[in-house]
Amino acid sequence: MLTLAEEIVLLTLDDEGGKFLYVPEHSMRYALSGAVLMELAFRGKIDADPDSLFILDTTSTNDGMLDSILKQIAKEEERHDCSYWIQYFGREAYRIQQVALQRLCDAGILRAEDKSFLWVFKSRRYPIRNDLAEKEVKQRIMALLFSDDIPDPRDIAIIGLAESCRLFERMFSRSEYERVRGRIEEIGRLELIGQTISKVVREIEFQLGQATAIGPM
Amino acid sequence: MELRVSKHNAVTIAEVDGRIDGMTAKEFEEKMAEAIPEGGGPMVCDLSHVSYVSSAGLRAILVIAKRFSKDGNFFSVCGHSGPVAEVLRISGFEKIIPMHESRADAVEKAEG
Repeated sequence: MLTLAEEIVLLTLDDEGGKFLYVPEHSMRYALSGAVLMELAFRGKIDADPDSLFILDTTSTNDGMLDSILKQIAKEEERHDCSYWIQYFGREAYRIQQVALQRLCDAGILRAEDKSFLWVFKSRRYPIRNDLAEKEVKQRIMALLFSDDIPDPRDIAIIGLAESCRLFERMFSRSEYERVRGRIEEIGRLELIGQTISKVVREIEFQLGQATAIGPM
Repeated sequence: MELRVSKHNAVTIAEVDGRIDGMTAKEFEEKMAEAIPEGGGPMVCDLSHVSYVSSAGLRAILVIAKRFSKDGNFFSVCGHSGPVAEVLRISGFEKIIPMHESRADAVEKAEG
């Protein structure tokens, strides 16, 4: 089974060329940070309520990335809320993304491909080698969004992450998106860590909007 | 966390006592799964005596509601108040699972 970070990375790749879709940098950062926190929560290592995020179990997850995040939370003496930790681990988003990409390559789902542009600039793409995992994630999401079924926790998480990255606006036509928007919001709210990611992203966007409105001094 | 199971006509009532959090969520899921009557029928989960629900607790309630509703059975939650009601409200649970203030309302609806 893929981790949430691997699933969201997979969803942010263009199906054909393997280029990253445009996702605002802050959205991707906090989605990746939130993905590892939710993964730890699903594995029974941490728990949260509206006031704080706290440790339940510090034993190894047998996953180096998750263990390093868990260790950092465990060593903090003061308790903080979900928002604090989502922003704190936002600084590790690049590492989380690179680990996820490497694992997807190792699993034969992606392949890394270096391309040169104008013989000078190099860019790395990740074309999909095996699209079963990506199709499976998308099918799960679609089935839930167009039904009244009660979602399961992992699906709630991935829907919240995808919405934070504004991926549904790309997956659906404008009218389809308007039709499922309410359902996306309902599902996203069900997970406390997930809904905090959306709040953090919205706050950043609000601040960016304010800064743009004020303009340079 | 304690679970008392009783019947009101065809309705199974699961009354939870204590906390539903990361330490008790698994036990809650297991006990609720055992309480699901063979052959189905409506079920009401009474949270009147629950003092705290965390994120893991919310997930456990959803997992049970999903498992129970899969076969077309009616599942609802009632009796939540104070901080528990607040967590359920923040998470928008009422949009996904029927919620009732009192057990009487929940049972009446379940008998429907």
